[in-house]
Amino acid sequence: MIDFGIEFVPRDLYWKTTFYAIQAEKTGFHTLWITDHFNNRNVYVSLAIVSAYTDKIKFGPGVTNPYMAHPIVTAQAVATLNEIAPGRVVCGIGVGDRTTLELVNMKLSKPLATIRESVGIIREITSGKNLEMQGEIFTVSGAKFNFQTTSRIPIFVGAQGPKMLALAAEIGDGVLINASHPSDIDRAMGFIKEGASRTGKRLDDVEIAAYTSFSVAEKPENAEKAVIPVVAYIVAGSPKKVLQKHAIPVETADGIRKAIIQGKWKDAFAPITREMIETFSICGTPEIVVEKIDKLVKIGTTQLVAGSPIGPNVRRSINLIAAKVFPHFNIKEDK
Amino acid sequence: MKLEKIVERIPSSSWEAISEKLIDIVLNSSNSNKMPSGLAKTILYYWQRDQLNTKIGIQRLLEASTLIDPEETVEVLKELDLQEAIAVIESH
Repeated sequence: MIDFGIEFVPRDLYWKTTFYAIQAEKTGFHTLWITDHFNNRNVYVSLAIVSAYTDKIKFGPGVTNPYMAHPIVTAQAVATLNEIAPGRVVCGIGVGDRTTLELVNMKLSKPLATIRESVGIIREITSGKNLEMQGEIFTVSGAKFNFQTTSRIPIFVGAQGPKMLALAAEIGDGVLINASHPSDIDRAMGFIKEGASRTGKRLDDVEIAAYTSFSVAEKPENAEKAVIPVVAYIVAGSPKKVLQKHAIPVETADGIRKAIIQGKWKDAFAPITREMIETFSICGTPEIVVEKIDKLVKIGTTQLVAGSPIGPNVRRSINLIAAKVFPHFNIKEDK
Repeated sequence: MKLEKIVERIPSSSWEAISEKLIDIVLNSSNSNKMPSGLAKTILYYWQRDQLNTKIGIQRLLEASTLIDPEETVEVLKELDLQEAIAVIESH
């Protein structure tokens, strides 16, 4: 059983994101995630307009981070959205994108404590409670909304490393695993199990979402062409351990990173190999992506998030997923 | 001639095809930022209600695509052999 989620980056004009959101709802996607980077359009404004043009798809930031926005502000935003679209809001939170945060001098300090406390704050405040806490990172001396909150908002924690994966399972309603390759998801499952067991949860109690870079097209070469820039960014931003695990030379990743910083796109994209595409994305024809998703489902993934770029033509790729990918899976009924 | 009149002359058998092609122009043109916000919201309204392949939906799409990419719009009308509509758009 699996749900399908979809990610949009509000680098696009607001009405394009909303157009695709409407299409995602019509075609049967379960959850819509919108990324949160200060240099794109604002995630909550984007979600607010999506909420006005949709009726049932769940949606939320995917993911926001507690360095740019205090968790109280995030709680306020998602609670307000949940008033507009009761029961449809989810909240994705993680440490965020290091490269983007460094542009505004934000240091990703104490990520585990920061995420743990942030999730606690968001959960307590959105439950309508009066919150007083003194944490390692945040101190809240009596905070309560002046408006009534509605239903409970599920919190998904974005994670990649072992400790964050375990924490995500421990404190989150769901884990957004930042990976596409079955071996990475399989490895993540061990940490997720360990984290869930800390609070006596069963694995079934935690939504496990593979947040993938995704590209589908009828011709595999078109899908690959669309995914190369995204894979270049992933390779450039991957920790050494991840690169070594997949036998990608660190020097190659460094070269790609330099080329991206300098805006030398040809140099950044040229070193991207078929192996890198295989490692860091789900890419290909509908038949190929079905096979890849099937592997992730067998490992225990309960939500497949089709992330950027989705395909060479987003609208057609969404239709392709609905027509040729969904029918192969036992899609969960809404809870 | 107003857009309503142009759309009146498009046979209903071509509505689905023209709607699809105009949506592609509107979404994929590098001039998409020329779309007025009010018109964008109208298009979203009809899209939400599955009406972009109706007369009124095509009318709004045609208005948008003519603003965003008139040349490509004419190409689409040519492909569908909608000569009368082409003449009107080219005269603007």
